Amino acid sequence: MSTKRSTLDRLVAPFGVDAETDEWSAVRRERLVAYGLLSVYVFVVWFPIYYIFITSIQPTSEVLSLPVNFLPQQATGQNYVDIFANRPFEAYTLNSVIVATTTTVVCVTLGTLSGYTFSRYNFLGNKALLLSIVGARMIPPIALIVPFFSIMSNPPLIGGFTGSLYDTKIALILTYTFFNLPFAVWIMKNYFDGVPESLDEQAQVDGCSRWEGFFKVVLPVAKPGIAATAILAFIFSWNEFVFALVLTSSEQAQTLPIAVSLFVADDFVDWAHLAAGGIIAALPGILFGLFFQRYIVSGLTQGAVKE
Amino acid sequence: MTQTERSTRRLLDRLFVPLTVGPTLLWIAGIIVYPTAKLFWSSLFWTNPITGAREFVGLRNFERLLLQSGGWLGTFNPEFISYTWHTVVYVGFSVTISFLLGLGIAILLDKDLAGRGWFRTAVIVPWILPYVMSGLMWRWMFQTQYGAINGVLVQSGLIGSKIAFLSDGTLAMMALIIADVWVFTPFIIIILLAGLQNVPEQLYDAAEVDGASRWSRFRNVTYPFLKPSILVALTIRIIFDIRALDLVWVMTQGGPGKSTEVWASWLYRTAQVFAKPGEGAALGVVMLAVTFGIVAVLYKVFGETPYET
Repeated sequence: MSTKRSTLDRLVAPFGVDAETDEWSAVRRERLVAYGLLSVYVFVVWFPIYYIFITSIQPTSEVLSLPVNFLPQQATGQNYVDIFANRPFEAYTLNSVIVATTTTVVCVTLGTLSGYTFSRYNFLGNKALLLSIVGARMIPPIALIVPFFSIMSNPPLIGGFTGSLYDTKIALILTYTFFNLPFAVWIMKNYFDGVPESLDEQAQVDGCSRWEGFFKVVLPVAKPGIAATAILAFIFSWNEFVFALVLTSSEQAQTLPIAVSLFVADDFVDWAHLAAGGIIAALPGILFGLFFQRYIVSGLTQGAVKE
Repeated sequence: MTQTERSTRRLLDRLFVPLTVGPTLLWIAGIIVYPTAKLFWSSLFWTNPITGAREFVGLRNFERLLLQSGGWLGTFNPEFISYTWHTVVYVGFSVTISFLLGLGIAILLDKDLAGRGWFRTAVIVPWILPYVMSGLMWRWMFQTQYGAINGVLVQSGLIGSKIAFLSDGTLAMMALIIADVWVFTPFIIIILLAGLQNVPEQLYDAAEVDGASRWSRFRNVTYPFLKPSILVALTIRIIFDIRALDLVWVMTQGGPGKSTEVWASWLYRTAQVFAKPGEGAALGVVMLAVTFGIVAVLYKVFGETPYET
């Protein structure tokens, strides 16, 4: 348990610090308030997720009945069965898995290699190159939907061989590396900055080549950074919607976010089945959030705050 | 080790930098530089929607986008004004509210509470869900007949009759802002919490000895150290909100009427639905310029710290 005092402790410290007993009760009161406020916030945050979950396990007749009920009367898994039976949900899920995994592998591989070199070596234009990679993260992706659409429909150079990439998983993988690679380079560069250089030097002294030193000595130490990068890249690509909407049109390439949006017809929404699809699309996020929170936080702060 | 092995090894070592950085740079050139260049280039063309023929029109797309037709310099396109205003309201309210809320929660989480890790896990989740799922989930929450919000309000007797949240321009904008705050507050919390943990302990003790008030300690001790995190949190939040289409598109599609049409949905509608790639690209260029402008202003305001960190 750290003895570091929290900001709140410091802010309220002048109140009731005279006697030992006063200080104790002030601290306890303040903790109680903190617990109370956090609990309210957590409740508000989780209520909508709870509501869409119970919607997903109720038959449509019960979802569309009044008064609105907040406890399902007859829980059923039928909606989940239906969406796989009546719609190509296994195809959407598989597309999502393939696109997100491939994007993650490409971004982690390239990001780790170049992040390490940006952290360790001075080479011609390294600062300018790194700066432009970081700057690339500022480009609003949606501004590029026009060029991406035209490039994917009519790819330069390889167009003659492959024809159009429109409505293929390759188009999505290429596009998603656009969001994630600069981010991966940046996280990994910051991570390697925190790994002591004496480690690589020792490896060189022991007769390792640069490659051996990198793969055998530095890389194992960088596992937490790689995990953080991989989890974030996976989540970002899994969740992406706008480019999937623009670049795909059939279950050959459509991903889960698109599949969920397809439950919305012009003036009718099939809420019970939409909720089931939504829960499936949200599952990796919920699981990652619950089990790998530490990596998400460290990746995000490496990628955002560290200079 | 033979002579050839040794020289191969030396060659590979010499190629370490180009081989590790090269692929990334090539990839980035292909996937970022080329499309960005193409964006500027496409903004100068007009495409005939029927024949698909392209015609060079110079800055005509920008003119059509920003200025009233037949108007002179200074009379803006009313659509542009109205959608810019919606974007400002949407981004302004949701960033401000989520920032203040996120700061409050971050300060609470910075406390040495038992179960702090559990709370942190619980507050992070909304940010990691697909935005589309979150948007549809909130659309369902705000649904007039069977939605949870009307359910709670009516069944608890707070209001007499159900409110059609998404059929009224102002209420629909409010619903979008609520959903946006719900989704993005976790991001603010994570970034500000990391910043709070950088504040050196001794400075608080010193301020306490000097008898500084709560506010003065926040202003003079916490804030200067928090500045870099505030900069990052606000920059990323604002940029993201300007360009994010997901929530708006699935919750309101810019409606009712055009009351929640923002830049992102306008761009999508122009480029895709109305198939005017030239005007869409021109709007993309405007968004790019505005984004970099906002980043520059934020760096100016929050960029310097009085202390060495």
